[in-house]
Amino acid sequence: MWWIVAILTGIGLALAITILIINKVVPRKVQGIEKIEEIASVMPGMNCGACGHPGCFAYAQALAANRDSIADCKCALVIREPEKLEALQQIFGQTLDLSNMKRRAVVQCGGNSEVIFNYSGAMTCKGAAQLQRGNKQCPYACLGIGDCVKVCPEGAISIEPETGVAAINWDKCTGCGLCLLECPQKVIKLVPEDTKIGFLCNYAPLRDIPGREKCEAGCIHCRKCFLACEAGAITWNKEKAVPEFDARKCTLCLKCIDACKQKVLRVVVDKEGKEVVACAAVPERTK
Amino acid sequence: MSRFITIFVSLAVINNFILVRFLGLCSFFGVSKKLSDALSMGLAVTLVMVVAAVVTWLINHSVLIPFGVEYMNIIIFILVIASLVQMVELYIKRTNMTLYNAFGIYLPLITVNCAVLGITLINASENYSIAESIVAALGGGVGYAIVLIIMSGIREKLELTDPPKSMRGLPVAFLTAMLLGLAFFGFGGMV
Repeated sequence: MWWIVAILTGIGLALAITILIINKVVPRKVQGIEKIEEIASVMPGMNCGACGHPGCFAYAQALAANRDSIADCKCALVIREPEKLEALQQIFGQTLDLSNMKRRAVVQCGGNSEVIFNYSGAMTCKGAAQLQRGNKQCPYACLGIGDCVKVCPEGAISIEPETGVAAINWDKCTGCGLCLLECPQKVIKLVPEDTKIGFLCNYAPLRDIPGREKCEAGCIHCRKCFLACEAGAITWNKEKAVPEFDARKCTLCLKCIDACKQKVLRVVVDKEGKEVVACAAVPERTK
Repeated sequence: MSRFITIFVSLAVINNFILVRFLGLCSFFGVSKKLSDALSMGLAVTLVMVVAAVVTWLINHSVLIPFGVEYMNIIIFILVIASLVQMVELYIKRTNMTLYNAFGIYLPLITVNCAVLGITLINASENYSIAESIVAALGGGVGYAIVLIIMSGIREKLELTDPPKSMRGLPVAFLTAMLLGLAFFGFGGMV
């Protein structure tokens, strides 16, 4: 009996010692691996993927490659723990600017879609969404009944009477995300607080392909805004076929807004940082 | 030589790990959403399978069989595979970052993949020689990669379709897997 235990223990010990030897012997040939490993040691190590990178090590790699990306450190587990944050700041030798960690909610709908039938059921967005995804022509539109108004603890949301679309007051919005959970159309998104250009269309291009005629102010995925941008602030998300904006590079030249024939893009915050259209739902119809 | 080919084809296609033996199913549905991920995963599984097959063969024939403790092979193989993956990962991470990035997160994740444990147990129960074990592991890995790549190709196309709401995502993937499995049963009469 005893030798069975001995075999198992022996194999386990041998493997442990081999790992130890490999750890000591194998040279670190890859450039900058020490720094990456140092950063990775601060990471929580649970590979949750919430930061958008495949695992903590990949995130450490991205941080090491681009020192500036420390500013958009998205790992909530690091940010919440003061010791880890301190360690990360020591590695980089700079204090973290956490200001753009803050998020604000945006209603991604211009309210241009026509009402195609009168809904007279239970007056909630959830009820209306049960019937052919709402009474508007576009199945991705804001229904404007106001489930989000009721759920907002700050009272930051109201329904614009002109467009019939929810509007969010950024002075009051804390970016808690409760309205995102409540909205059946998934038309509300959280964006960084420093967002300058708003993208006001929730139209999902990969479904219902023949849908362009459904709204005159819907994104037709023409890439004109991406091509017009000279500051390199717009990247084209091929998978979703929508533009993505980098507020730090944006110079507010407004070329993308001029280029957009569908008027999907709006200025959200101007050069002085003053809010122009906080809610992103603008009373301006093409019809 | 023909024996090697038989073993390879048998494990790659006829007794395919995913569709016929039903091993490694969680990674089959988890990683088959994107073609690039499927390639990385297939590559990593093949590599780990081959390394694990060699090392477990050595341990099986130098320790377990002489001491007459073959019944302990499951627990010992799990131990060996888990630490092997750690060693391989450590080595690749420090010497070749390009390769490490190609494997991505999937190398540590397959530490506990049952397809990898499966190949070592099959090798032990079939009494394969070391060369046969390597060929079997290669076949198993290639078969795994093929199915993962086919599935991810189909699922990328499925993204463009508009199935009923209750069928979106996993349900339609399950149906696809069923049809794929039926197709692979057609290989059953080959050998």
